[in-house]
Amino acid sequence: MTYFPEEVVEHIFSFLPGQHDRNTVSLVCKVWYEIERLSRRTVFVGNCYAVRPERVVLRFPNMRALTVKGKPHFADFNLVPPDWGGYAAPWIEAAARGCVGLEELRMKRMVVTDESLELLAKTFPRFRALILISCEGFSTDGLAAIASHCKLLRELDLQENEVEDRGPRWLSCFPDSCTSLVSLNFACIKGEVNAGSLERLVARSPNLRSLRLNRSVPVDTLSKILMRTPNLEDLGTGNLADDFQTESYIRLALAFDKCKMLRSLSGFWDASPFCLPFIYPVCAQLTGLNLSYAPTLDSSDLTKMISHCVKLQRLWVLDCIADKGLQVVASSCKDLQELRVFPSDFYIAGYSPVTEEGLVAISLGCQKLSSLLYFCHQMTNAALITIAKNCPNFTRFRLCILEPGKPDAMTNQPLDEGFGAIVRECKGLRRLSISGLLTDKVFMYIGTYAKELEMLSIAFAGDSDAGMMHVMKGCKNLRKLEIRDSPFGDAALLENVAKYETMRSLWMSSCNVTEKGCQVLASKMPMLNVEVINELDENNEMDENHGGLPKVDKLYVYRTTAGGRDDAPNFVKIL
Amino acid sequence: MLVMAECKASAACWPTRPDLSTDLRLGLSLSTSLSSSSSLQAAESIPSMPRNQVLLSWPPIKPFLRSALAASASRRRRQQTLFVKVYMEGLPIGRKLDLLLLDGYDSLLVKLCNMFKTPITYADVYQQQVPGVKAAHFLTYEDQDGDWMMVGDVPWNLFLTSVKKIRITRTDKC
Repeated sequence: MTYFPEEVVEHIFSFLPGQHDRNTVSLVCKVWYEIERLSRRTVFVGNCYAVRPERVVLRFPNMRALTVKGKPHFADFNLVPPDWGGYAAPWIEAAARGCVGLEELRMKRMVVTDESLELLAKTFPRFRALILISCEGFSTDGLAAIASHCKLLRELDLQENEVEDRGPRWLSCFPDSCTSLVSLNFACIKGEVNAGSLERLVARSPNLRSLRLNRSVPVDTLSKILMRTPNLEDLGTGNLADDFQTESYIRLALAFDKCKMLRSLSGFWDASPFCLPFIYPVCAQLTGLNLSYAPTLDSSDLTKMISHCVKLQRLWVLDCIADKGLQVVASSCKDLQELRVFPSDFYIAGYSPVTEEGLVAISLGCQKLSSLLYFCHQMTNAALITIAKNCPNFTRFRLCILEPGKPDAMTNQPLDEGFGAIVRECKGLRRLSISGLLTDKVFMYIGTYAKELEMLSIAFAGDSDAGMMHVMKGCKNLRKLEIRDSPFGDAALLENVAKYETMRSLWMSSCNVTEKGCQVLASKMPMLNVEVINELDENNEMDENHGGLPKVDKLYVYRTTAGGRDDAPNFVKIL
Repeated sequence: MLVMAECKASAACWPTRPDLSTDLRLGLSLSTSLSSSSSLQAAESIPSMPRNQVLLSWPPIKPFLRSALAASASRRRRQQTLFVKVYMEGLPIGRKLDLLLLDGYDSLLVKLCNMFKTPITYADVYQQQVPGVKAAHFLTYEDQDGDWMMVGDVPWNLFLTSVKKIRITRTDKC
């Protein structure tokens, strides 16, 4: 191999499917390391604090696409205090200095400022795709900068970000010469946009395939847009909440009729049931449908619509659909691969119209189901065992019983056996979230059977340290472990410290870990950052001490080559 | 507390008007949701966050969905009405009353006394035998099963989910 020309080796590397393999070949020898790093185009950084941005840019100066993730997953549920960190600026600044060929940037759970967006827009001449998911810290002015300066922009995808609204000007900043848009998603923008600007932008974007509007866009604008985009594949609707004139509905139906390529629908903010029949003609071609923002639709509205969606592969819906609605899904949507059922009434001991019966029906009817997120108020072991037998292909299984610690609704037993069946039957399970009344036994099952498990989320479960120890011992492929309100303490934390180096991160909040335990972990494993997050709260001071030591409120442990971070706020202690 | 215990016993006792009960429980559950039912004892025995934080971080749904649903719920609450017919015994023509504009039995009583210009009493008060106040009428209602019941025995929110008609009956008839 020593005399193989570099270009040939580089060409061989281009067939490697993922970053993991490219990392592996980099370790073979120095020559391969050099060839690989200079030809790497896509870089994925799962934890922004695991490595310094400068180091990434230095190693991969020719990267075109960069993905960076910031806050831990539980930040989605308000468990990470504001100002914890996850700043995008160092990454954008480092790339601006060392990697001007950057074309695509994806960021998730990071704090992005308008200044950074402006720097991004003005620095990278070939920049073409910005995807921000669950980010915050910027305003529509930052978007205006992107629109104004990124001449080759193809994708602007804003998913569930917290964006400060500074008016509709940003959308008008796309110059007339900008005709390259393929994907535009501004569903999370709270304010109004100029309908005329939007229509003109769409009219000059012949390659537009994905368009997600926000709730301010009127139905007539939607109709006009759809008439111009016969090749649209993915649509997020605007306002369908009001009761419109009949002509508006007819225009909408005509417009939808033009969209023969439409495969995916979302939006439906507080959608009125009156609009649904006008969408039925498109239903038969849909593979994706997101109705989770329409609590205004009841079970019969939903089932009437979904019964037309015979090709559906992905369905996100509220529990208003009820068990009987899920039965209709089971009989209509034979290709269903992903189902998410969200709670419409999220008070804990409330009433949810979906139960274990709905899920059992789905498992019987939808044999291809591999990804599930299900919020309900009751579950039984018997149901879970049946579901596991019917659907052994689950790769993602997330069950959230709304009342913490609730037992089997029929037998009053813990749900250990039910989840045990899931991990036993679903040999390819990569992601699991458990809930309900659970003892250490469920963790024994998880440790024994869930060999492919990469991410585990635990809430209000377990009896003792033994539970967590089972998981740490048995789950060989575990990358992310997040635990809240469970009785795991220092013994569990310290049982297998070497394992943390093989994982991306560990999160523990409201558990029994003490600061002493964290200090021991930090001293044993210098390549980990052990972050102790203690918000100053009068209530916390009253908590019982374990062994006379204060309990740690929140603990975040992650492997890193970057050492301690210097942007941590005062309530974060890095040991 | 009473409501939660009753409804744990049988799902059938939950009304068949899910939208209404959802919105009513938004007012009901904040104070009672964490204190009732044995299954929650498991949660309480585990060291947990202050209550106000638990409500923001549970159930685990993203802030975007959480605020969208909360905004939607309050919008629907404001738009909803619950008009019931009110008959006074002896009067052939009845009245209609939006119960969602009232906040409890006391305001119901005040409203009806004003509407019909007569002192009325209901279950709680009646049993107390208030001296000097001898009401000629008391309040009954027809529930979802078609039974005529004394107004005032159940919590207001539960009453709203089961009331179909109200009837002001003469005391001497009972």
